[in-house]
Amino acid sequence: MNVSKVIEIQDYSWKYINTRVPAIRGINLSIEEGSFVGVIGPNGAGKTTLAYSIDGLIPGQYNGVKKGTVKVFGKEVEEYAKGELQQLVGVVFSDPEAQFTAMTVEDELVFGMENIGLSLTEIKERLEWVTELTDLSHLLMKPPYEISGGQKQRVALAAVLSMRPKILVLDEPTSMLDPVSRERIFGVLAKLKEEENNTIIAIEHSLENLVPLADQMVLLSEGELILHDETQPFFQQSRLLLEKGVFPPGAMLFFHELREKGLYQGRYPLTVAEGVQLLRGLKG
Amino acid sequence: MSEQESYIQVTDLDFEYPDGTQALKDINLEIYKGEMIALIGQNGSGKTTLSKCLNGLYKPTRGNILVEGLNSKKSSIVQMVKRVGYVFQNPDHQLFNNNCWDEIAYGPRNIELSEDEVKERVEEAISVVGLPERYHSEHPFFLSKGLRQRVAIASILALRPQVIIVDEPTTGQDTKQSLEIMDFLQDLNETHGHTIIIITHDMPIVGKYARRVIAMAQARIMADGTTREVFTQADVLQKTFLAPPQITQLAQAGQELGFDAGTLTVEEMVEQYVQLAN
Repeated sequence: MNVSKVIEIQDYSWKYINTRVPAIRGINLSIEEGSFVGVIGPNGAGKTTLAYSIDGLIPGQYNGVKKGTVKVFGKEVEEYAKGELQQLVGVVFSDPEAQFTAMTVEDELVFGMENIGLSLTEIKERLEWVTELTDLSHLLMKPPYEISGGQKQRVALAAVLSMRPKILVLDEPTSMLDPVSRERIFGVLAKLKEEENNTIIAIEHSLENLVPLADQMVLLSEGELILHDETQPFFQQSRLLLEKGVFPPGAMLFFHELREKGLYQGRYPLTVAEGVQLLRGLKG
Repeated sequence: MSEQESYIQVTDLDFEYPDGTQALKDINLEIYKGEMIALIGQNGSGKTTLSKCLNGLYKPTRGNILVEGLNSKKSSIVQMVKRVGYVFQNPDHQLFNNNCWDEIAYGPRNIELSEDEVKERVEEAISVVGLPERYHSEHPFFLSKGLRQRVAIASILALRPQVIIVDEPTTGQDTKQSLEIMDFLQDLNETHGHTIIIITHDMPIVGKYARRVIAMAQARIMADGTTREVFTQADVLQKTFLAPPQITQLAQAGQELGFDAGTLTVEEMVEQYVQLAN
């Protein structure tokens, strides 16, 4: 039974028309409903291409050569009618300005909902829910170009959330944020995971906030899927991760370095709090 | 010691935007030659505004900024940018010429140097940032972000400023690229004697590279000291809504086991563990 697999990618390769080598190749990846998947890898590894492939931007909006299949809710992305897949899969881009069109933050949020023909009451309800969730109420009347980079990223997230997509794909959603705002965004994601049973795929360089939330992790490098596992066993392969230029968070890296020196055996901490516990165990 | 030579003095600086927003309040600051400083704080805390005051783009609403003895209020932009260079967060906001060579030559030409002098400055800057020759006549937009950033830095270097402020050099870069950029800035600091100020949210990078940290919140400086000092002042840091790097947090939680609260890198922490275990 495959009912719970919301995304199934098989032998998938994509080569953009103007490049010599495929951006991603030979990808096999299944994602179950309600799981939180972190996707990491160096720049140029194919992370954004993978994100675009899941919401149908690829092959829809790009020229290139596709091999293999990408299925979302059991149906190949090409089989969806125009706009239908984008209601199921919401993508938050790393450059939020790319998605803004309106004159105020409120219009920006309402625009998408009007566009899919929601009733006024429904729009009002969702607007309240999403502005509270992303802490935007004080910015609703501002033009999107007048707010800071971090606030823009929150508006971009809110605009996508207001569409209530089942699958949420976030491409470096916190790259411009300070540590507090970053934590706040990940707090929102944690809430969505717990309360809404959304499937969340997050591409991130900053692992400190991602690691405690992710059920599974995927490592891409040079277009290939190198590693896919549950978060704990995934990071047991930290030597491989470091080889590929991915650095685990500080607390984890400390225990990894100890293990490399033969001074530690056992699991790696996913948070500072876990690290502290393990540290006490070491000395005890 | 070159770090003893004061280069910039900021006294009682306030800055208000025309719409009345108070972006800087009561800033007092001294910056010495050869320092490697991280300017940290939440989005909107005043970091970028302070930088633009330091290089004369903005003039103080109240108070004074002296750079090598020149008062920024009474000095031309040309006088200021020769002393303090500012590299934009997004190199694309700064690069606009058709090829890298002209991009780097733009500043020197703008301050009306002779073409011979311009050529010398450009070649010097190119050699410092290590831009391979095949890119010299390339359009900047065909370069990777890392290389575009080097071109952006070269275009500032060509003005030979003592101080270089780099706004979020590692945003959007993966860890390996971030370390490459920071190693390069460290080399500018150590080998070429430039004072480097980085604006960043990346605390592990601050812990690894900065010798001094200036932490801002709500238009004010909340903490200013060595990186170790600032990262161990938990109460002050909380006011700036920042936390030290994860490894420092781990060491601080492990103080009772003998770890140093001022630990800044994983390597330091491992070293301490090895010593404690023996």
